[in-house]
Amino acid sequence: MSGDENPAAVPKPVEDVQGDARWISQHTRFVQECKDAEPDVLFIGDSMIQLMQQYDIWRELFSPLHALNFGIGGDTTCNVLWRLQNGELENISPKVVVLWVGTNNHEHTAEQVAGGVMAIAQFLATRLPKAKIIVLGLLPRGERPNLLREKNATVNSLLRSLLLQIPQAQFLDVSAELVHSDGTISIQHMFDFLHLTSSGYRVVAKPLNDLLLQILEETPEERRASLV
Amino acid sequence: MNAEDANPAATPTPCGDIHGDGRWMSMHERFVSDGKGKEPEVVFVGDSLVQLMHQFGIWRQLFSPLHSLNFGIGGDATQHVLWRLSNGELDNISPKVIVLWVGTNNHGHTAEQICGGIMAIVQVIKNKLPLAHTLVLGLLPRGKMPNPLREKNALVNKLVQEALSSLPYTSFLNVDPGFVHSNGSISHQDMYDYLHLTPKGYEAVCDPLHEHIKSLLEKPPEH
Repeated sequence: MSGDENPAAVPKPVEDVQGDARWISQHTRFVQECKDAEPDVLFIGDSMIQLMQQYDIWRELFSPLHALNFGIGGDTTCNVLWRLQNGELENISPKVVVLWVGTNNHEHTAEQVAGGVMAIAQFLATRLPKAKIIVLGLLPRGERPNLLREKNATVNSLLRSLLLQIPQAQFLDVSAELVHSDGTISIQHMFDFLHLTSSGYRVVAKPLNDLLLQILEETPEERRASLV
Repeated sequence: MNAEDANPAATPTPCGDIHGDGRWMSMHERFVSDGKGKEPEVVFVGDSLVQLMHQFGIWRQLFSPLHSLNFGIGGDATQHVLWRLSNGELDNISPKVIVLWVGTNNHGHTAEQICGGIMAIVQVIKNKLPLAHTLVLGLLPRGKMPNPLREKNALVNKLVQEALSSLPYTSFLNVDPGFVHSNGSISHQDMYDYLHLTPKGYEAVCDPLHEHIKSLLEKPPEH
């Protein structure tokens, strides 16, 4: 499947429509961080990744793993792919990449979004042949069942099978406790029915952290004393 | 100048459900029903800068003790807040202080229009809650380096401060603690994306804000 056919797999920077160049400023900062840091874990994606760093959970669970956070709010698969191809993987060799993107791809179908995520996973697998890739499933959104929940669920189910093609990648669904039996999402977990609260991140971070620790322990390189 | 029809920033406008998950309306409805159950002394209204404040420890530490409600919605511009306050969010409550922080998302509007939008919100609050004090917060600078939006936000602040100076039961507070460094840059330690505040950024903003709100609460009600 060529990138030309799937718009969600075409690398694209975000245009500065608003006038304060914030997207490129963040990208530039991440490229600089690649020069200075030696992360074992790289988190990349949209605001779901970005906001994680603003809560205590980041300092508690992920900083100790020597993690970098390259999340930018609003990013689509196109934007993440562009960033990875334009400096955000230079000079670093993380053992694990955590990828969380796709919920902002409003112009694209579920199939296209899954294709976009696959394009990123494939690129990562090629650039970082020794790294493991964890692709997080898109979370449900909206207070009650709606079309976007269905779309995100379709993306997830496509990814579950497509990712089998990339041996170093795996799919992780972290949404388990977020939707009540009546189909509603609690504002305690998602303050705007999209972005996670501190409690919401705790729910999501647990399975991710467990998997990260498992992978990092399996890595046959010298262990750092600071690993929890 | 009262051409409200001609000023899109001052025309009450709900957010359409462009994405398909109805989140904006869900949040508005929640705020309306919060009003029925609670008796806040302070209500914060605005965009993501208000909304995110609620997510960090600073809210429970400084503002919950004042009996506050948070009616922030990310992405909101003045016309959206105007619609929300005109459609139920101020019904059933009688807070002493309304903290209003909005205007940075009014892309496509001029500083004058944005000021008009903010003043229209102040008017709606005055009509619905004649005894409340409206505290309007200045827009923060944004972007890593100097840019036109910083100038625009500064102009909005200047215009709003002037317009409020003659109005009783309102005041303007500049909450920028000095985010812009001498080389013109804003640090990502204060604004993680050069717009939204980190917990550290919120502390710098909220400590003086909290003091100011407390002093407003201690004053006898104005008429």
